Amino acid sequence: MERTPSASHITRRTLLRALAVVGLAGVSGPLLGPDAVPAQGNLGALQPEEKVEATMKRLFGSRPLKDGSSAIKLDMPLIAENGAVVPVTVEVQSPMTPADYVKHIYIISDKNRRPMNAKFTLTAAMGTALVGANLRLGETTDVRAVAELSDGTLLMAKREVKVTVGGCGG
Amino acid sequence: MAEIGKVRIRVPSSIKQGDVVRVRALVIHPMEIVQRRDGKPVDKNYHFIHKVVVTYNGREILAAETTQSVSENPFFAFTFRATEPGTLKIAFLDTHGGKYEGTVDIKFS
Repeated sequence: MERTPSASHITRRTLLRALAVVGLAGVSGPLLGPDAVPAQGNLGALQPEEKVEATMKRLFGSRPLKDGSSAIKLDMPLIAENGAVVPVTVEVQSPMTPADYVKHIYIISDKNRRPMNAKFTLTAAMGTALVGANLRLGETTDVRAVAELSDGTLLMAKREVKVTVGGCGG
Repeated sequence: MAEIGKVRIRVPSSIKQGDVVRVRALVIHPMEIVQRRDGKPVDKNYHFIHKVVVTYNGREILAAETTQSVSENPFFAFTFRATEPGTLKIAFLDTHGGKYEGTVDIKFS
């Protein structure tokens, strides 16, 4: 009989303490958890590994891709001896006025594990729709350039590059 | 590695007002690629440039999202219309929070 009140007293205190701990954890958990916000270089934040068809579907859905081989100049070597550095320049014929310009240029290489390579967001202030970059190509592959115009039209051009030595670290 | 983030920008030596100027930019960066162990990609915070932003007198004229499929020491080329004298700034942002900037003064001759 002597212990009953003290036992109930402890229970109440423990309960309150437990509630307080749960409350704190609930607040601090998402803020302080080390894995709560994955860093931008972690696998989850990278472009997914997929086939190029899946990339095209993910980026453009079922929107029609027009043949842009006359409007897009895809400048890159026919044979790249070293896949680690393949210079690619994409130039799209466009007046580049605020009313009619190229909004995005995507560079996609079919056989890379992560086919989506680079996405450029352009503005009319650029004067011409020209972007260039050095790519890493794992093996002989088609490289596609997709241009999204300001009216939503999608144009695509592609060309094959022969790669003698792959550039994705084996 | 001490050179990480060194930015070099080249523009033509003589620019006239209204010209469309071709710019070439290079940044020293490892652009770390995905490592694999037993065929499985290793999950860690890879060190590579994921964003490039070009501004001309404070206005953004070009942005790029880049991946590890861009080569080590990335090189970019683009053009812009030189409408007024000022500063062209290129900022490279990497996945470890690094921000590397290069600027070039645009003057007319």
